[in-house]
Amino acid sequence: MSLKIKGVAYIAGKEGRMKRKILAVSLTAAAVMAMTACGTTMNTNPQGAQGETSAESTGGSSGSNELVLYTWANMFPQEVLDGFEEETGVKVIYSNFDTDETMLERLAQAQGGDYDVIIADDYIIEQAVNEGLVSEIDKDIVTNFGNINPLYQGQFYDPEDIYTVPYGAGVPVIVYDPEQVDFEITGYNDLWNPELEDKVAITANYRVINGITLMSMGKSMNEEDVSVIEEAGQKLLELAPNIRLIQDDNTQNALLNGEASAAFLYTSQMISALAENPDLQVVYPEEGLGFGIMAAFVPSQAPNKEAANQFLNYILEPEISKQCMEYIGYYNTTQAADDIVDPQLVVPDSVTSGEIVQNVSAEADEAYNKNWTEFRAACGQ
Amino acid sequence: MKKKTKWWLCLAPMYIFTLLFILGPIIYMFVVSFATNNSSGYGFTWTFTLENFARMLDPVYVDCFVQSFKLAFSTTILVILIGYPFGYFMAKLSAKGKKIMMFLIMVPFWTSSLLRLYGWIIILQAKGLFNTILMKIGIIDEPLKILYSYPAVLIGMVYALLPFMILAVYSSVEKMDWALVEAARDLGASPFRAFLTVTLKMTLPGLLSGVILTFIPSMGLFFIADILGGNTIVLVGSLIQDQMNRGSNWPFAAALAVILTILTSIMIFLYRKITHVKDLEGIV
Repeated sequence: MSLKIKGVAYIAGKEGRMKRKILAVSLTAAAVMAMTACGTTMNTNPQGAQGETSAESTGGSSGSNELVLYTWANMFPQEVLDGFEEETGVKVIYSNFDTDETMLERLAQAQGGDYDVIIADDYIIEQAVNEGLVSEIDKDIVTNFGNINPLYQGQFYDPEDIYTVPYGAGVPVIVYDPEQVDFEITGYNDLWNPELEDKVAITANYRVINGITLMSMGKSMNEEDVSVIEEAGQKLLELAPNIRLIQDDNTQNALLNGEASAAFLYTSQMISALAENPDLQVVYPEEGLGFGIMAAFVPSQAPNKEAANQFLNYILEPEISKQCMEYIGYYNTTQAADDIVDPQLVVPDSVTSGEIVQNVSAEADEAYNKNWTEFRAACGQ
Repeated sequence: MKKKTKWWLCLAPMYIFTLLFILGPIIYMFVVSFATNNSSGYGFTWTFTLENFARMLDPVYVDCFVQSFKLAFSTTILVILIGYPFGYFMAKLSAKGKKIMMFLIMVPFWTSSLLRLYGWIIILQAKGLFNTILMKIGIIDEPLKILYSYPAVLIGMVYALLPFMILAVYSSVEKMDWALVEAARDLGASPFRAFLTVTLKMTLPGLLSGVILTFIPSMGLFFIADILGGNTIVLVGSLIQDQMNRGSNWPFAAALAVILTILTSIMIFLYRKITHVKDLEGIV
């Protein structure tokens, strides 16, 4: 049995799971995911998590020349980890979890100890910070702190940038086929253009789609005012005639097989779409981006804080960032590496604002849900 | 050793299973439908409320029920129109012909129904088989937008449920005593009248089983609407699933499920009343 945490990790969680699981996902599994659409935001309740933990490697003790890195599987190329050991003599022990919630539970049990560096999604870091499980970054050691792209800083989970170092971002973008679309798409509002009638494919995340509608109105993705949300609902209904397809998995296929001419896609989908058809145009909407960030932090009682900070400094080196981002296929958060990393993984400088979907009040959430159901029903008519 | 005394023990596992895994969840669902959803984060609290049911009166949600029933009805009618003649004539084939037909009907079940639905996507898509053929033979100039539309969902539903109707009608027709039809003809009934008054009446239980095997699942097969309809046809099933996952509102999901169960039960009751059939062949 699974319970879901409400309103969080909408983008980051999705992006994360898509990429990390990409190898494991067989056609059937993808089908099941499409059916249940549960890949996104499911987490396990405490009992469930207990059951799962036995399958994972445990943190354990670390000597002075060891560093326990706790994150999802396949987040680092082996060369990068080996390189750190060569540089500092500290061996990296890679320990992995499969959901953010498992991580937080373990960290809480260890009272902020056992692990030296943890990389997880934005919303869960906020909880970890609130529970006092995170220690401040030692900026005397992390001299590369200035390499970070300010676009990904000052976010809700770390407004003063004292606890975290971002490690990749998932950014949903608009992708369109210039051969099929006669005008230039520059932002969310263009999706409402009548020329796109029955030609748009979008992802199936109700908060993100509500969010981009709010952004197109110049509002926040996390609007709490129900009357504004209802207004967005009205605007969303006007989008319905343009919608061909709402789907969370392999949405890019609609663009590739001619069902849709424009699509709002997750990062991993954008990358597979471009790999298939390089002529597709990627749009970073002028109204601002909605994204999810994965970030690294040092737990409050980390056994080897010095090495942990050294590690954070290490992954902020441009060359290392490049290797890491190209390995995991996320948007590069280390600005200093922008020039050397695959250009597909760099958000252009022209984009200066971005927002993360966060938890909202129950009333607001209900209004978002209602908008979504009304919208979907309108799309079918 | 007396063999008679403890015979009921053999049945105990079945009863325990039924209580635990069928009755239990239904009761749990019923109880949860009156619980209060937590305003933030996880789960719900055991505070009695009728709000979950009141919320359903919102036109958006009423419309979902209407859409679901419409789709279930159209599916059922199409399945009857195709499935009844199919089952009827199949029962009249030679023994060998029956075997072959039965085999052909069963073969698709060897593959996951999801994979078969993805097959339909490939057939129906803009550059797919269906459109290519129509364009080649010059019936259309531009590909039809069938995929991710209502017709696509209907095709998927009929495709998925047709075998159940065929098999139900087949077993009913096969068992029928043809002497009765001959008697009717001997007494001067036209073939059509004999069919209406004898064959149809005698096979009604089979037809009704088929209807129930079609109608009830079609209320719940929301993944067909999600996959072939591109999530744009909102059925109660997908609404429930939405509330379980994305909306994280279990009480509301449970309330929707309770109402769906009640409405479906009423439909079955009505079918039985109208057709005067007590025993359903094949399933009861």
